Amino acid sequence: MKDIIIDGKKISVKEETTILDAAKELNIEIPALCHRPTVEAYGACRLCVVDVNDGRKTRMVTSCNYPIRKSIEVNTQSERVRKTRGMLLEMMLSRWPNVDVIKQFAAEYKVTKPRFIHPLVDYSSNACILCGLCVNACSEIMWEDIIGFAGRGESRRVVMPFEKHYDACVGCSTCANICPTGAIKMIDDPNQPADSKRIMKYGSKIADEMVLMDEEQCDMRGVGTAHLAQIMNDYDLFPTCNYKFGSHKDAGGLHSDVFKQKYITQGLPDGCWLGCSMSCAKTVEGYELKTGPYKGDKVLIDGPEYETIAGCGANMGIFNPEFVLEANFYCDTYGIDTISFGTGMAFAMECYENGILNKERTGGMEFNFGNEEVGLEALHQMGRGEGFGVIVGQGIRRMKQIFAEKFDLTKKQIKFMQDIGMEAKGMEYSEYVTKESLAMQGGYGLALKGAQHDEAWLIFMDMVNNQIPTFEDKAEALHYFPMFRTWFGLMGLCKLPWNDVEPADNAETDEPAKVPGHVEGYVNFFSAMTGKEIDKHELILQSERVYNFQRVFNYRLGFGTREHDSIPYRSAGPVTIEEYESRAERYDKQLVEKWDYDIKGKTSEEKRDYLRKMREADYQKLCDAVYKRRGWNENGIPTIQKMKELKMDLPEVLAVLKKNN
Amino acid sequence: MKKLTPDQIEIIQDKRINELRKYKASLMVCAGTGCVSAGSLTLKELLDNKLKKKGLQDKYLVVPTGCNGFCAQGPILVIQPQGIFYQKVSSEDITDIIESLENGTYVERLLYKDKESEISIPKMENIKFFGKQKLIALRNKGIINPENIDDSIARGAYLSLAKVLHQMTQEEIIEEVKKSELRGRGGGGFLTGLKWEVSYKTGKDRNKTPYIICNADEGDPGAFMDRSIVEADPHAVIEGMTIGARAIGASEGFVYIRKEYPLALKRLRIAIKQAKDYGLLGENILNSGFNFETHIHRGAGAFVCGESTALIASIGGKAGEPIASYIYPAETGFRNNPTIVNNVETWANIPVIIEKGADWFASIGSIEGSKKSTGTKVFSLVGDIENTGLVEVPMGITLREIIYDIGGGIPNGRDFKAIQTGGPSGGCLPKIHLDLRIDFDTLTEAGSMMGSGGLIVMDDKTCMVDIAKYFIDFLKDESCGKCTPCREGLINLSNILTRITKGEGKENDIELMKEIAETMELASLCALGQTAANPVLSTIKYFRDEYEAHIKDKKCPAGVCKELIKYKINDNCTGCTICAKNCPVDAISGKPKEMHFIDQAKCIKCDICNEVCNFEAITVE
Repeated sequence: MKDIIIDGKKISVKEETTILDAAKELNIEIPALCHRPTVEAYGACRLCVVDVNDGRKTRMVTSCNYPIRKSIEVNTQSERVRKTRGMLLEMMLSRWPNVDVIKQFAAEYKVTKPRFIHPLVDYSSNACILCGLCVNACSEIMWEDIIGFAGRGESRRVVMPFEKHYDACVGCSTCANICPTGAIKMIDDPNQPADSKRIMKYGSKIADEMVLMDEEQCDMRGVGTAHLAQIMNDYDLFPTCNYKFGSHKDAGGLHSDVFKQKYITQGLPDGCWLGCSMSCAKTVEGYELKTGPYKGDKVLIDGPEYETIAGCGANMGIFNPEFVLEANFYCDTYGIDTISFGTGMAFAMECYENGILNKERTGGMEFNFGNEEVGLEALHQMGRGEGFGVIVGQGIRRMKQIFAEKFDLTKKQIKFMQDIGMEAKGMEYSEYVTKESLAMQGGYGLALKGAQHDEAWLIFMDMVNNQIPTFEDKAEALHYFPMFRTWFGLMGLCKLPWNDVEPADNAETDEPAKVPGHVEGYVNFFSAMTGKEIDKHELILQSERVYNFQRVFNYRLGFGTREHDSIPYRSAGPVTIEEYESRAERYDKQLVEKWDYDIKGKTSEEKRDYLRKMREADYQKLCDAVYKRRGWNENGIPTIQKMKELKMDLPEVLAVLKKNN
Repeated sequence: MKKLTPDQIEIIQDKRINELRKYKASLMVCAGTGCVSAGSLTLKELLDNKLKKKGLQDKYLVVPTGCNGFCAQGPILVIQPQGIFYQKVSSEDITDIIESLENGTYVERLLYKDKESEISIPKMENIKFFGKQKLIALRNKGIINPENIDDSIARGAYLSLAKVLHQMTQEEIIEEVKKSELRGRGGGGFLTGLKWEVSYKTGKDRNKTPYIICNADEGDPGAFMDRSIVEADPHAVIEGMTIGARAIGASEGFVYIRKEYPLALKRLRIAIKQAKDYGLLGENILNSGFNFETHIHRGAGAFVCGESTALIASIGGKAGEPIASYIYPAETGFRNNPTIVNNVETWANIPVIIEKGADWFASIGSIEGSKKSTGTKVFSLVGDIENTGLVEVPMGITLREIIYDIGGGIPNGRDFKAIQTGGPSGGCLPKIHLDLRIDFDTLTEAGSMMGSGGLIVMDDKTCMVDIAKYFIDFLKDESCGKCTPCREGLINLSNILTRITKGEGKENDIELMKEIAETMELASLCALGQTAANPVLSTIKYFRDEYEAHIKDKKCPAGVCKELIKYKINDNCTGCTICAKNCPVDAISGKPKEMHFIDQAKCIKCDICNEVCNFEAITVE
């Protein structure tokens, strides 16, 4: 820390803090044209000059980029500072007499009529004042270099390459938005929004947050969703060996730092679409494949994302990042989903380790957890459509059927498969351990499309922060979040910018989990895009209509009732003794505190069985509460009344409901 | 080729010296850019042919050398070891030259004649132009073939490198350079050894490999010191850089050289290749385990790229624009690693400091007082001066000595008016400063600067407002345009100066320009902008009356600014009609043998009448 004095006021700041930032903390305003917190200090306009005395001499420096390294005394209003700023403004005003931002600053310095005639005078009120914000924003916020400066001295100007229109510009509007004079305009917006300025306002808010906070928050620009691996392992939520455990001593091998330092090659904008300021997609370049039809080739791999790292890594008991990359590449190449592959393989591996499968049944493959060779061979079999891989490739629900039909299994074995086969509605679980969060079990089990977390991710709210203790609280969350998240699907928007970066003051809001600042942004985005004003309630209502319609649709196809909302027990609690004992302290405590169960002298087996009884009952109670909140009957079917309220009482809908109610 | 060990350098040295001794004389043909454009390469070829024809090729060796320095008199031929200096040599002189060589005499008509005494001076050392010079950076100019590494080695090149690699620690090298008090010759005058120490320490502390850069982006109009050094002795630069690399622990270096210097570029390329072949660059240099590679980066000619942060940006593939001066390249430079940027001349001094010692170097130059400028400085002497050329003099020499003793004074019997030092953003110093000692601090105190060493002499026919305008216009075009004060300040200064030279000056223009200049000096981002107003400030300071004459009286005292002057025919006119015949716009009328008149409405002030008049009958007012 360095103690400095600015205009007589003392302040202690971290070394390398700029004078401008230090002054801001003291509420001392310093004029600056070319500076924004979202771009690196450029030091071009020079309006922010101040006098600095370091004990030896007084120097004039630009406060935006002068790093405080010693105990200095700063004068932001000395006579020569004011005079210098005045002359700078006089020169700017002589060249751009009608630009508002210059006029305002100039007026503050009593400059109204320049004493010289500028040979390049530009009377436009939207003249480019060469502050460089657009160029730096394009480069630093968007990681693009679509625009840059051309020419020296008086011919300096902002251009696209060769002063021609450059197709790589997707019109992200970052430059237009940061321009202080309106010199850059959006002239051709193919989406023809009702109010593009309003959209830019909220869009740039997210872009600013990305630039200013992402690195400390989720580092989506640096590593993408891969950052989650470490967090999930730390919170014991990282699915390991078919969700038996939530962490592993070797999990560091799948840490995002490993991918960032060793494999991810691009520090480039690599979004799903050009112009995304989050750009969380990452690329591994020049990876040499070790197996399969492209063995020996150096290839480019998209990703890996968190789900792939967990699914094609820890969940199969594998902690080698190169296995993850190889599996990622071949899944993409064969058109196989990495979550279904990872979770499906994990199931098959646990079946193998429990005698449900053996070498004979797998075509000679030793399906143990951690067997990388087998992991990839099964994947190639899937791709080729041969061998045991074909069976795994059909997913867990079919595997359970096939194993039961084809192999001579005991009832206990079949029951075990039901308990550990991590699927709901036929879809494999994505990669989070839900055992200790009832709300999250509902998030998976009650999701319309199957066991996916994209309707609700409530583990932290529920388990870590205990913000939704009652069934009603959980039901409310399982109403709100699925509706809110469905809305992204309705609009064709990506969900990640909603809460993978959060406003700086989010924690201080009433409902941080909802990220109210961003909900406001989406409401405004909708209104500005369509010209139809909505509020946050209308937003939820839009989703509710569709969500209920989808539930009716499922129901018509024979899937929309309580029975289909059930989950494998591993999703709700410890299936095996080994699992129970790995978290015995937690379970014992819950048995005593929550259910007054006397654990004295009880074996792990007895305790596990009692816990299961309680937790399975809780899950049904949760379903009751959620159905009620959603306006469904006790079997999970939307009521006619609800559909009427939602104005979704379409004849076809009513026909389905009436027939079966 | 086999890589050399330190002992083998000395073997090559002895061998080459013996080879050269076999010749009765060496004919040093200047092949610097100036003499090449005057035809020296043809001369060299003809000399070779002629010697061969006469069977004398084993007796006399023709050597194409780098710039001799006395560019005004090119093409230049020096006969060594006798030291006979021939000037303005042409192909017709070849027979006589060879004949005189055989006879042991010299060709009288090709000798330099002293301007005052009109006596021919056969020996180079007796010519005043050379007499007061002291050669360190230019130690090999005109006496080696820069394209032959053995010639350089014969003169001691790379022995200093061998010494630092095998006998000195990194700290000792830095200490030696520090002790020499060598200051950066690029213009800043920062202590070189101190800069090295910062890079060395930063590199160690942050575990980063430093880089070495040679700044050969000489952009000042009329300056050719760096070009001449590279052309005359490229190995001095390479050796200096390699010593620097060893000192700070760099393994990679760059020479940033402008593309407008094709000859320097060519010689540098040859020199780097030869040094590599000998193992004096590259891996395991002189069997010491030290590696250093150097690359050439060609600059595209932007003046601002001579500024070290802009130069580093340019090497990195970015636009050549300076960055905040609070980031020091010595700490955070190329690829964010510590980077030493030194100018060509600075590098060329290094091997000599190592060879002869810091104490020797520190005893030369302006060494009294606390602010020392040790060693010598190379200057390019141009403008209204008799002996245009390249000179190296000890720091502390006076302007008068350079202009009158070395430079031979002002031609055409005119008077000295001012000297511009320090390149375009230097200042113009008047007569009263002729006895000023040339060193970094004295020049700065007088309102000018050392810069990289351009000296432009101006006679009394020079309009100082016009000169200020010339330099401001140059800088206006060369300002990168990034920061407001430099970009807008120069545009406005240029505009005001243009008005003044057109007779549209206003009462308060001088004060306004001073205000603009002050803002530029205080608020500009880089040294270019901070010093860009110097031409205006120094001319206002020393030639304010000229500005006032332009502004108030609407007159150009030097008779340069066309809008302010009138051509008139005076009583001397004999009516010879020659002016009327030559006037391109038929502005002159008059009958033969009668006085003529100039129609002011038609006159375009082209000065042709003045030039053709034989009777001094044209008056410029």
